Amino acid sequence: MQDIVNKSDDKKTPYEIARNCRHYAMCKIDFLGSGVCDSGPEKHFVSFYPQGRMILYEALAGNKISVTEKCIEIADSCNLCGKCDYQCYFLNEMRPTKVMEALKNHVQTYIKNGGKIKLSKDDFLLAEIKKIVGENWASNDEAITVTYSHDLSAISDPKVPDYVVMPNTKEEISSLVKLFNKNKITYTIRGNGQNLLGFAINEGAIIDLNRMKTIEFDEKNWLVKVRPGVTAFDLQKQAQKRGYRINASEPAALLCANIMCSGIMSTFSTTYGINADNFINAEFVDHSGSLFDLNEISSPNLYSYKNLEHKDSPGICVSASIRLHPVTDDEKGILVPFETLNNALDFIKDCSIRHIGLALGIVGAEYISTFLSPTKKMASEIKNIFVDKLNIPWLVVVIGDKYAIRSISEMGFPFFDQNLFKSLYLGLPSLKTAQWLDLVKELSDDEPYSYLKVKSFAELFETALSPSPRLYSQEVDKELSPFFEKLFSHQEMTDLVWLNMYRIMSTRLGRKKPFLPALIYLPIDKDLINDFTDKFRLIAEKHGIDNDFGFITPIDNGKRCIFEYDFFYDYNDPDEIQRIRQVAMESNMLIDDYSVKTGTVKGHPYVLYQGFCRKENLLYS
Amino acid sequence: MAGKTKPVIALTGATGFLGSHLMATMLAKGYSIIVFGRPAKNESLKERISRLLKWFGIGSFLDQVKCIDADFSQDNLGIENGEYSRLCSVVDSVIHCASDTSFSENKREKVMAANVNNLKGILEFSKNAHISFFHYISTAYVAGTGVSFCKEILSSAKSFTNVYEESKAAAENLISMFCQKNSITLSIIRPSIVYGDSQSGRSLKFNALYFPIRSAQSIRDIYLNDLSNNGGIKAAKNGIYIDNDGYLFLPLKIYLPYEGDLNIIPVDYFVNATIKIIENCSQGGIYHLTNNLPTTMKIVAKYYEQLMKVRGVEIIYGPQPDNLLRNPAEELFDRFIEPYRPYLSDNRVFDRTNTILATDNLNPPKFTYEIFKTCMEYAIKVNWGASIFA
Ligand SMILES: Cc1cc2nc3c(=O)[nH]c(=O)nc-3n(C[C@H](O)[C@H](O)[C@H](O)COP(=O)(O)OP(=O)(O)OC[C@H]3O[C@@H](n4cnc5c(N)ncnc54)[C@H](O)[C@@H]3O)c2cc1C
Ligand code: SF4
Repeated sequence: MQDIVNKSDDKKTPYEIARNCRHYAMCKIDFLGSGVCDSGPEKHFVSFYPQGRMILYEALAGNKISVTEKCIEIADSCNLCGKCDYQCYFLNEMRPTKVMEALKNHVQTYIKNGGKIKLSKDDFLLAEIKKIVGENWASNDEAITVTYSHDLSAISDPKVPDYVVMPNTKEEISSLVKLFNKNKITYTIRGNGQNLLGFAINEGAIIDLNRMKTIEFDEKNWLVKVRPGVTAFDLQKQAQKRGYRINASEPAALLCANIMCSGIMSTFSTTYGINADNFINAEFVDHSGSLFDLNEISSPNLYSYKNLEHKDSPGICVSASIRLHPVTDDEKGILVPFETLNNALDFIKDCSIRHIGLALGIVGAEYISTFLSPTKKMASEIKNIFVDKLNIPWLVVVIGDKYAIRSISEMGFPFFDQNLFKSLYLGLPSLKTAQWLDLVKELSDDEPYSYLKVKSFAELFETALSPSPRLYSQEVDKELSPFFEKLFSHQEMTDLVWLNMYRIMSTRLGRKKPFLPALIYLPIDKDLINDFTDKFRLIAEKHGIDNDFGFITPIDNGKRCIFEYDFFYDYNDPDEIQRIRQVAMESNMLIDDYSVKTGTVKGHPYVLYQGFCRKENLLYS
Repeated sequence: MAGKTKPVIALTGATGFLGSHLMATMLAKGYSIIVFGRPAKNESLKERISRLLKWFGIGSFLDQVKCIDADFSQDNLGIENGEYSRLCSVVDSVIHCASDTSFSENKREKVMAANVNNLKGILEFSKNAHISFFHYISTAYVAGTGVSFCKEILSSAKSFTNVYEESKAAAENLISMFCQKNSITLSIIRPSIVYGDSQSGRSLKFNALYFPIRSAQSIRDIYLNDLSNNGGIKAAKNGIYIDNDGYLFLPLKIYLPYEGDLNIIPVDYFVNATIKIIENCSQGGIYHLTNNLPTTMKIVAKYYEQLMKVRGVEIIYGPQPDNLLRNPAEELFDRFIEPYRPYLSDNRVFDRTNTILATDNLNPPKFTYEIFKTCMEYAIKVNWGASIFA
């Protein structure tokens, strides 16, 4: 099994590639500016995006379903343009077009050989659903339903729903809820299925909200109202165009889903906050199909917080008014290196208390090398260089205006500024063979990273690494390198501010293997955090599961932080799935233990469906 | 094992540069050596010693060495009681070579712990073993700053260039008092800066003399790469170019505070002189293993230019002018050599009276271009130590 994960795509069969689709939904957003699969935005069902076709092909090739009408339509609507190769390779080093070709071949061969095409019939309920949403926006065709059998999580078993429905208005949603209640049909809401716990799959009906993409800015009130199909990426783009920023988590996550699920958090949460800090109002369809507005006095109090694992969802969020944040034109990103986690913790706490920096996050060498490297192989080489040669096991990412950056400089911390970062990033391939790095390490003996204070180090560093989009692109598959070269000539691809506010790199974390995070809210307490780190590692090692430190972001003036620790597993290996489940259970028990012991630790499962709560209620009650 | 004609020596620091060279020569001379040391992350002490002996070409002498895992910060050196007593009964002399050689003020606590606080264990062992001789490998620079003639006596210096010198001076005084109290004959051996073997160029460590050369070579390579692969735009910006005769012109002005020497000795001299002192000096004493014919950075710079086919290095004695414009190479080089700068132009003179007597007038060689070339070529061959055991 391990072999399939590590095999490069040109050696994998289409079936193996399809089975490794990470279901991150990143092919639904145009994060590289290369455009998205043409059929997706037209048909909206995930089935018409590369991700859906991967699942469909896996089901067909694995004889789980047979060729249906929709299957032909899905296969035919792929024009083999290759855009998904760019996107998927960028994130996961995968080349889905091989699967798309195989899907088309499979269907064509099946038809040529006189195979019977399975026709789906509208049953009573489907007919009723279609009356509400229209003929094109509901289906029970297996080729559609099977593509909703997965979400990102692989620790929950896939489930094929009976129907998939795509409403376009809150009234339609209300009618659907009433219809499902009346007919005792389970329904599950689906954003982009990016939650990490398998909450967007179920039997019964799936309500996919991806048609509801309206965005309305109300600039004088510093808010933007989105309907529930809007992704973080698309909204950030619109906001940026108008000179604002929103607090966005994963780019493919739908904002309403994200708030609904556990609340938006990102490195910008240091100043923009979490949970209720991120929105001004929201509208819902409740479980009976009635509409309510969060600002009404009679509405359920979603601002409160209850320490309950897996609390019930309050209903379907049909719009949210998201807060807009001002942006200044002197914002910059820097990377501050640290030899120990404790020193990095002291630093972020200090910055956070003193209101220095807009976004702060500690990342380990695994994270940073994974994010920066275009391939898995390079990521592991670069990780070693960071740790062994540059003596940088920890980095703090800071986004701030010129005053913040100046303060950090005055505090005496050497850092990689935007220019050095760009050289480092686009010069990564040279770093692998740079002998002068040994000297840099010795130079740090006296004062760690003091070379960063040498005025012209940046120039010499640039001379030594000869960074360029071309150099960087030499690391990727030959056919894709011209595209990558062009892509990396775009200023934003090496701009720390842009990279942080769009977060397009973070899905690379699952490139080597899919991951399951343990997420905790806790004080910035070094002993506590080191304890958690050690114990998570021990749990993972006991079960033979790869693991690593994820990130830490301070929140609420340094009074608390968000800590992610990641576990990696192969979701095509049933044995590893069993083991990761065990790891998840033991990690949750560990968090529960500390929660009781300290009274200050909160685990992620206790925040689910409470994303609308006030952070004060979550953190301090 | 060779017969009991030679004393049994307990040696610390045998995995270091000086200690390993001493060990190798003493083994070849038939000494039995008990090494007190530590395992590395993935290697036992014995494996480390074995690897070193193979490097010296005397792998078969491993039988003559007994390796004892010792922790100098622990009582009884962390050695189990029975073994400790057995060791006490066989050891005749101690050579204490183990040392933390970091100059970094940030590492003060660690350096002081290793070089001063942890002496207690090895001194107690010496007392318990009733040894006759304690040989301490120190440094000529315990003399401290502001002294012009450094005598072969205990240092009373108050100011030092770095924490390493300070710790070694403190250690000498402490050991001296202890040995006096316990009637142990003490010899203190004070080498100046030690480089590789003057004949073969071989070395195990590439700091001190090597560091400025290595830094300059790295900077040279960065610009050579720029010139050959990237059109030399950055090089041109800084007035760097390749001359008609293939030499790289790379302006590198090195400011040293005043005119002075660079006192360096080869490791073969260090070993031979130390063994002579150990064998000849029954009454103990302090010995400067320094060079009466010191070289200068001007000479080294010339050697460097010749070997690396470079021009443009200028050694300037005197204070660096304020607001002086430095090119990136100069700025980085300045930073690289900062910890070593006080040793690059040094006008201290070292008394060698005791040494001359104890070593039958053995002198280190003058640092010639041939020696420089042999040593640097070896360093480059083993990638400044990175591939020494590859
Ligand atoms: C690589 C990676 C990194 C991540 N990092 C972060 C991070 O830093 N910060 C962060 O906040 N999250 C993070 N997440 C988690 C993820 O972004 C959120 O869980 C987000 O909610 C997923 O959005 P989605 O549209 O995919 O929701 P889905 O997975 O489709 O749905 C999430 C849940 O909400 C329900 N739901 C969806 N829409 C609605 C609605 N309108 N009304 C009611 N219920 C609804 C679904 O039924 C499901 O239970 C990360 C995920 C990945 C894969
Ligand atoms: S190759 Fe097919 S699936 Fe991939 S983006 Fe192009 S049309 Fe879509």
